[in-house]
Amino acid sequence: MFLAAFTSAGHREVSLDATLLSRLLQKDVNAFEQLYDRHARLVYGLVLRILQQASTSEEVVQDVFLQLWRNADQYDSSRGPFVPWLCTMARNRALDHLRLKSERQRRREDLPDELPSAVIAPEYEKALDEKRRAERVRALMASLSPQQKKAIELAYFEGLSHSEIAAALKEPLGTVKSWIRNGLLRLKEGLQAT
Amino acid sequence: MKNCDQFRELIEAYALGALDPEDRAALEAHLATGCADCAKAVEEARWLVSQLAYTAPESAPSDMLKGRLMQTVRAEAQAQTKPHVMPAKSAIPFWLWAGVAALLVFSVYSAWNTRQLQTEIREANNRAATLDGERQKIEKQLALEKRKAMILMDPNSVKITPAGHDAQGLQLEAKWNSKLGIVVMGDKIPMPSEHHVLQLWFIPKDPKAKPMPSMMTWPDANGKFVMLVSNPPESMDNTKALAITEEPEGGSAWPTTTPRWVAGVS
Repeated sequence: MFLAAFTSAGHREVSLDATLLSRLLQKDVNAFEQLYDRHARLVYGLVLRILQQASTSEEVVQDVFLQLWRNADQYDSSRGPFVPWLCTMARNRALDHLRLKSERQRRREDLPDELPSAVIAPEYEKALDEKRRAERVRALMASLSPQQKKAIELAYFEGLSHSEIAAALKEPLGTVKSWIRNGLLRLKEGLQAT
Repeated sequence: MKNCDQFRELIEAYALGALDPEDRAALEAHLATGCADCAKAVEEARWLVSQLAYTAPESAPSDMLKGRLMQTVRAEAQAQTKPHVMPAKSAIPFWLWAGVAALLVFSVYSAWNTRQLQTEIREANNRAATLDGERQKIEKQLALEKRKAMILMDPNSVKITPAGHDAQGLQLEAKWNSKLGIVVMGDKIPMPSEHHVLQLWFIPKDPKAKPMPSMMTWPDANGKFVMLVSNPPESMDNTKALAITEEPEGGSAWPTTTPRWVAGVS
């Protein structure tokens, strides 16, 4: 009964996002503002975690939401939930920014305008509200070994590859591959069991 | 299926973006074969990876960011809806006005230019018509002069002069050619009275017949004139004499004055 209440709240959130997105296609400014208010903290937190700099992070978040405003028709709500898609777009943007900055080639016009394809939810996905989902994911990450967690974070937040992580941690490549794979599989199992 | 196992181990890292180029190329080549199971596994892994966003601590961006965003979005929304709601005059871009102005100037210039050309063509046609008229006149005059010369030179022409000495001292002479016509020449001929002309008459032999009126002329400043009668009577035999009288302008059907010159023909 308790879980059912959470699930129902999650469905309402998904439905509200879908409604706002359909209004966004009609260039409804109020719908855009509501979407921003609902998800800006999550997106900004993610980008700031990647870039580690407030002003640059705000710049990227601005790009992300303007892309959403201008190209909302590229998001297919029937193929997957909105928040994972938005977070994927924000992460891609932030990592692009990070890589370009590191290569001293950063130019705004070089940033790709393509939006990510839909992030399709698996069958085991449960419609949880954002707060409950965040708590669950953080709890599951905290349950991983420090090495698994570190390797996954280096890949997700810094965009490093297997061999780059192995070099950074001074660990064998095979070990790093196992940490990442096993850590993600454990995360998946935890979410399936939620 | 056995083939898929080696790729399944790569799928989570692929969704995470952590595969090194060789592994990534190998997996993508396998996915390109259309393996539905691996494709579905990749989709699930992408969703799983997207959940890692929740591990980043939420943080509120500045109010200024929202202010900038909303300002941009409102401006773009207004720009998109304005033309549909109210196509204001000012919404027409400057270049369009410039184009319309250029078109108007060009149209006015073209109309003016066309009118100028039409005027020039009309004037040229008038000049050509005048020249043509003058040419025809000259040609006609030339033909008359040739004919006069032929009459004067032709041995078949009959010279007609007044009998005896003219009382008034007029110097007049005529040559009659039955085929070419009659030439009447005068010299030192006084000008007729105002509004009068000199008129030539054919006086028939038949006393009952009326004098036949012919051409009219004026002497020039030297009292000279040359008259060509292109269609004289067919035969000289029926004509008694030629006579010239002074008649009102426009000529007369019957001599109204005493002849100033009379020359017998036959």
